[in-house]
Amino acid sequence: MLSRRQLIQGAGAAAALAASASVTVSWPRLALARGLLTDYTLDEVTARALAAAKAAGATYADIRVVRRVAESLHTREDHVTGVGSSDSYGLGVRVIAGGAWGFAASARVDGAEAERIARLAVDIAKANAKVVRRPVELAPVKPVTAAWQTPLTRDPFKIPLAEKAAFLLAINADVMAVPGVKFCTSSFDALGEWKLLVTSEGSRIEQEITRIEPGYSATAVDAKTGEFVSREHELPPSQAGWEYVEGSTLRADARKIGEEAVAKLKAPGVTPGKRDLILAPSNLWLTIHESVGHSTELDRALGYEANLAGTSFATVDKLGTLRFGSDIVTLFADKTSPGGLASCGYDDDGVPTGRWDLVKKGLFVGYQTTREQAAWIKEPASRATAYGEDFKAFPFQRMPNVSLAPGAADKGVADLIAATDDGIYITGNGSWSIDHQRYNFQFGGQMFHEIKKGKLTRPLKDVAYQANSLDFWRSCDMIAGQREWVMGGTLGDGKGEPVQSNGVSHGCSPARFRKVNVLSTNTRGA
Amino acid sequence: MLTEPQARKLTAAVLAAGKKLAKDAALSVSMDSGRAANTRFARSEITSTGDVDDTTLTVGVGFGKRHAQASTNQTDAPALLSVLQRAIAMARLAPEDPELMPLLGPQKYASTPPGFDRATAELPASARAEAAHAAIAAADAAKVDLAGFHDLRGAATALANSAGLFAYHAATGVSFTCTARTPDGTGSGWGQGYANRWSDLDTVAAAKVAIDKSVAARRPRKLDPGRYTVVLEPAAVGDLLYFLVSALDARRADEGRSFFSRQGGGTRVGEQLWGPHITLRSDPASKLMPSAPFDGEGLPQRPITWIDKGKIAALRYSRFWAEKQGQRPTAAPSVTELAGGDATPEALLAGVKRGVLITRFWYNRWVDPQSILITGLTRDGVFLIEDGKVVAPVNNFRYNESPVKMLKNADALGKDAVRLATADGRMRVPALRTHEFNLASTSDAV
Repeated sequence: MLSRRQLIQGAGAAAALAASASVTVSWPRLALARGLLTDYTLDEVTARALAAAKAAGATYADIRVVRRVAESLHTREDHVTGVGSSDSYGLGVRVIAGGAWGFAASARVDGAEAERIARLAVDIAKANAKVVRRPVELAPVKPVTAAWQTPLTRDPFKIPLAEKAAFLLAINADVMAVPGVKFCTSSFDALGEWKLLVTSEGSRIEQEITRIEPGYSATAVDAKTGEFVSREHELPPSQAGWEYVEGSTLRADARKIGEEAVAKLKAPGVTPGKRDLILAPSNLWLTIHESVGHSTELDRALGYEANLAGTSFATVDKLGTLRFGSDIVTLFADKTSPGGLASCGYDDDGVPTGRWDLVKKGLFVGYQTTREQAAWIKEPASRATAYGEDFKAFPFQRMPNVSLAPGAADKGVADLIAATDDGIYITGNGSWSIDHQRYNFQFGGQMFHEIKKGKLTRPLKDVAYQANSLDFWRSCDMIAGQREWVMGGTLGDGKGEPVQSNGVSHGCSPARFRKVNVLSTNTRGA
Repeated sequence: MLTEPQARKLTAAVLAAGKKLAKDAALSVSMDSGRAANTRFARSEITSTGDVDDTTLTVGVGFGKRHAQASTNQTDAPALLSVLQRAIAMARLAPEDPELMPLLGPQKYASTPPGFDRATAELPASARAEAAHAAIAAADAAKVDLAGFHDLRGAATALANSAGLFAYHAATGVSFTCTARTPDGTGSGWGQGYANRWSDLDTVAAAKVAIDKSVAARRPRKLDPGRYTVVLEPAAVGDLLYFLVSALDARRADEGRSFFSRQGGGTRVGEQLWGPHITLRSDPASKLMPSAPFDGEGLPQRPITWIDKGKIAALRYSRFWAEKQGQRPTAAPSVTELAGGDATPEALLAGVKRGVLITRFWYNRWVDPQSILITGLTRDGVFLIEDGKVVAPVNNFRYNESPVKMLKNADALGKDAVRLATADGRMRVPALRTHEFNLASTSDAV
């Protein structure tokens, strides 16, 4: 990113450019320095938008001014293959008129455009209101003026590109030094999201969220058989700065990852059947995401996502009565965990974030809601899960961090393995798929180790586990303690039409699940 | 949306400004400009709408073998200058990339049928709302709930570079998908449509397919998992075929990490992998699926037959890999079409003693790239076929299957290929009948 000074220095050339291109000339509107320094002219933009919406007949309005920046670096073997950065900026106005939502957005951020967009949003709301069956009601929220920022020490956008590239290429070199490894790719992505939310109820909230995702993958090939496998590092993305990369074992693990790719290639295939599984957090987070995170979205349970992602087995009539998991299973939602990809101070409805239970001691007790949705289940307040991915995205219910509470006893994965007679220990993510009501899922992994009589014996390959979500959670009989509780996560949680992307993390300790259906995925030569 | 003269002027200005900042740079600029508008409905009412006009400019800068790109959605002068400076600064710092190819010079592009329709590009929100209301009214009459998405795009793509290349293409596309569910929660159906012109899209017909199917799918019978003869409707065929199309890459095959790798080295091009009734093509001049005559790099699109009467006939070569292997580079295909056969829908069923009719698949994911093994689930209409007739709705299934085998075991293809909204209109496929399809486990989902 460039500093304000650099932008101003270029103004002369910019004027010449504008004259020849016949495009609108305006000044940079946003300071890019860390420290939440918005341009004062935005106050005029937001005020004009809200006044225009009110004058046009809106009973509620909010405006979000959002900038998203991204930087990516990709390599393979001994060279960089791509260096890119992107920057999008604009405003979105959301209104309620006649009991219906209206929304419009523009990449032009000035007072006149904000007024035009606000009026357009009201027109759209009125058109939608003609057949409203359930007028929108918003749960109350106390107006605030607030700011929130990702805690970090090394802004990833300010780390020199050469330093980041050297880091990745050094990893590749270590991976490629392992005999049998033929390919290696690595990458680093940084995402910055800055947003200002101003509502007709008097809130003014400014937030800056920084997320990063480093990673690499080794591919081993057996020249004789033509067989190949890949092994990815399991470090998850995080809401953090470059210090997260430096403090990780990414670099130190490079040789081990290459060796494990080779070991996996040579490993015997799994024998299908019912097995006890011990799932590491690097694998289990995604199972939580798909089977718990998505099934407890209230809009999905009520049919609002029926045309794309589907509905849910966790219907409203089962709230408080459905036996979701065994007694030791407590799953909680939260948007405050440090490093959690969905963590922030306030959601896009302007509601302060918090933590609550979805499943308590095995019982289904909670949903994810927004201000609009709280009334649907007669709750007095929103759970603060509204989110729109950028300025042109309509904010709607998006998944908070959803995590499995650690076990009460101070057990570790070694204790779980020691207690298991015939099982498989799975780490990392492979393939994943779940049905449109979140019952039937199938997951792979990165590494699979056979457990016999309380001991890890040998690596396996071609493993997938398939289960019904409820059977799976009810079969959980051991959860390691707080000491081994870590978060995994994704930047690519998709929902809605058009699909919007959400970053979300899921914490857990290693856990054991009894008699799960294990498949062999080897159809080579079939 | 910027017109061709506006795009030419804007991209030329960016290149000129870039030249001033870095004389020795190889510069390229790509522009995507246009309107994206949508109406979403669920539980039989409109739930959200969107309408935005946006222009994204991506600037590519190369110094020798160093390169970087940066993009912005702001077209005012300071933003353009900023994006240039950003790309230049990053390119200077980037390590060398031995695979970087020189910029393409001016290209000759084939003329393709127009895919742009002004009335579609300017369609007001009220027209989308009326289409949604008409579909909802049909659902109300049948006493089912309807959820859907009506999406409209009118956009132009332009490319220009300091070696003299310029390309521009504008297109409109409009899609309508909807899912009907019966109030008792036991039946679900789905319908779809895609067209370049809004006037060619029959949204009510798509809704009626979804509604009728949901009613027919009510109270499904239990059917065990197993290997079945299946009749796959076009959406289901497209869902699986997508993975095979994405594997048509020469480099991965040459590197020994693809289904198309030949044991001992090289690719399987030329091998008869399927029956003579399987042909897969890309043609940018297709009247039924017009597309841009160039890809994102500016390479001209040309008609390509990937699978020719069952023989794997071509794989995609990037410019770098083509040069290395002494091959002609291939533009990334923008459209693909699986040739239809001569079977009517009734004829596809007629040959089935006992089998399953599948509407579409969901949550399809790679399991094993070596065999193109994919997993996913059926949804929105699964029916038991006995003695050539649909006899009852049945439960959903998880499948673990490969599109390679789907085509290998296919013995009949439908005569009417359909353009798929799920592939943004870029894929046109027929229904087909295939055997030994692995429906691996049942799913309780409706």
